[in-house]
Amino acid sequence: MRGSRDPLGLLALPGVAFLGVAFLVPLMLLLWSSIRGVDGFTWLGYWRVLGDEYYRGVILASLHLGLITTLGAFILGYPAAFALARAKGYWQVVLFALIFLPLTVSIIVKSFGWGIVLRRDGILNWLMLNLGLIERPVRMIFTEGALYAGMINVFLPFMVLPVYSVVRMMDARLPDAAATLGASPWFSFTRVTLPLSLPGVVAGASLVFSLSVAAYVTPSLLMGDRYMTMSMVMAKAFLNLRDWQLGAAMAAVMLAVAAIIVVGASLLQRMLGGR
Amino acid sequence: MTTSHLAISGVSKRFGSAVVLDDLSIGVAKGEFVSLLGPSGCGKTTLLRCIAGLLLPDAGSIQVGGAEITRLPAHKRNVGVVFQNYALFPHLTVAENIGFGLRAQGVARAAAAPRVADALALVRMSEHAGKPVTALSGGQQQRVAVARALVVRPSLLLLDEPFSALDRKLRETMQVELKHLLREVGITAIFVTHDQEEALVVSDRIAVMNAGRIEQLADPATLYQRPATLYALDFVGQSTRLSGRVLGREEGLVLVQTALGVVRAAGSFGTGSSVVIATRPEAITLDATPGMNRIEARIREISFLGSRTQLHLDLADEGDRGIAELPRLPEGLVPGALVSLGFAVPDTMLYPAA
Repeated sequence: MRGSRDPLGLLALPGVAFLGVAFLVPLMLLLWSSIRGVDGFTWLGYWRVLGDEYYRGVILASLHLGLITTLGAFILGYPAAFALARAKGYWQVVLFALIFLPLTVSIIVKSFGWGIVLRRDGILNWLMLNLGLIERPVRMIFTEGALYAGMINVFLPFMVLPVYSVVRMMDARLPDAAATLGASPWFSFTRVTLPLSLPGVVAGASLVFSLSVAAYVTPSLLMGDRYMTMSMVMAKAFLNLRDWQLGAAMAAVMLAVAAIIVVGASLLQRMLGGR
Repeated sequence: MTTSHLAISGVSKRFGSAVVLDDLSIGVAKGEFVSLLGPSGCGKTTLLRCIAGLLLPDAGSIQVGGAEITRLPAHKRNVGVVFQNYALFPHLTVAENIGFGLRAQGVARAAAAPRVADALALVRMSEHAGKPVTALSGGQQQRVAVARALVVRPSLLLLDEPFSALDRKLRETMQVELKHLLREVGITAIFVTHDQEEALVVSDRIAVMNAGRIEQLADPATLYQRPATLYALDFVGQSTRLSGRVLGREEGLVLVQTALGVVRAAGSFGTGSSVVIATRPEAITLDATPGMNRIEARIREISFLGSRTQLHLDLADEGDRGIAELPRLPEGLVPGALVSLGFAVPDTMLYPAA
């Protein structure tokens, strides 16, 4: 059909133009610097990132951190999203505030906060010492456990919100209907509630994963150099080493990871929505 | 009294300070269709949820087939429910929806398939088996909901406003269709409805509910002809009702002075008590015979309803209502005319003033 081009599509023009200037051009420049060698074109940057065991470890560590964070955010956020969707009146306001107010606090402040709580002379150690739970301070900061806790704390709302919006639209009587048909709570959950909430989970997981794979502030404040992520390597390469080739190649790898997640998630969404 | 298939005794439920079910008891015989009829907030849906096991009553007991189920969780009760708007599983096909209960109860896929096919045939949905339920019309969705509930052979079927999502014409067809289907299956069914016409159509007996109690439990004809209370009278069908004062007794009947004349009715009220007399619109005639009650009234408006004609009467008192229904309209009767109306003494009901 000739008239199938929707004039409403034109409304996207300003946004697209802005992204073109503010995102696409620098991105091209970045990709350009990742393949620019001393005497013209080279794959050296990528070879340095993907061929080196240390940098491969950094990429794996970033993916590992993203996976743990996503998993943790799912385990904590999924039930929270249900509570939020089913809460009424006053309680819903309170729960909303509890989950989303932390978003207004800067990640830096939050990560410093975790530092204060988990320090050797921090609140948690002081509390456990005084309760007699431990005899000497436990090392918590600069451990992976502390990093996971901080990351999940920062990215949890990004899991809760998409799941919440799907659950809110779900007919609350469906579990009742399942029960009257003889379905145990577990059968009802796995065959009705979970499949229907899956689109929200996929959206939340892809958000949390792509954000946490690229995380910089929280890992650097809670772990420092002990846990190098892709973003930390990039920052070091650009700021300290002035090694543009390395930084740009690492950025390109991260971009590829993000692209795979976004495309994969939207394909998965289509599959789930196509039923 | 014969033993009831469903026996509810002394069930109470409160939400906060609001008493929703108030020491309610009812017995339903095997194979019987009973409607819980009442306005929203009368407790009918709460009672349904208590029977289904979706809500725990504060007090009282619920028994099905002699077995105590009051505290049994819903999925162990084998009580089927057709929900308002059906609550079909939107991610499953018609056949998967119907097969859900069988799968949930551990029936093997091979054993479930013929039962699903039978259920599909029962509600004449066989050709839609593979469709997603979201692609069905309201009437088809209702059939799927009924088949889904029946396929697990429940001991009791509860239907929560099953026709409210359908338009008027389809609703009338489906009421008769569903009644016939359930009768063939031979199941005991409880309908929850706020629609008195629907209750009259589908029920063997109707329980009129008011503020968490059963106001009257009777077969449709009795409920219509002899409503036990003013509340039941107002909720089921139309009526002419006049407030008045008892003048005395005569030949075993109570004499009542109303704004439109003196009316006689069976009952036992002392002289001077405030009462309401009532009769059904079709009991009123323009050709009163001797021995009938007579009132004089002016016609305010005339409505032609096709099979009959309604006269709306001018009334003096605020709380009074006057409607007469005639098979056909006599020549020359126009709004504003003064008419003499008669209705038989046995058709005259008498209630204490509210």
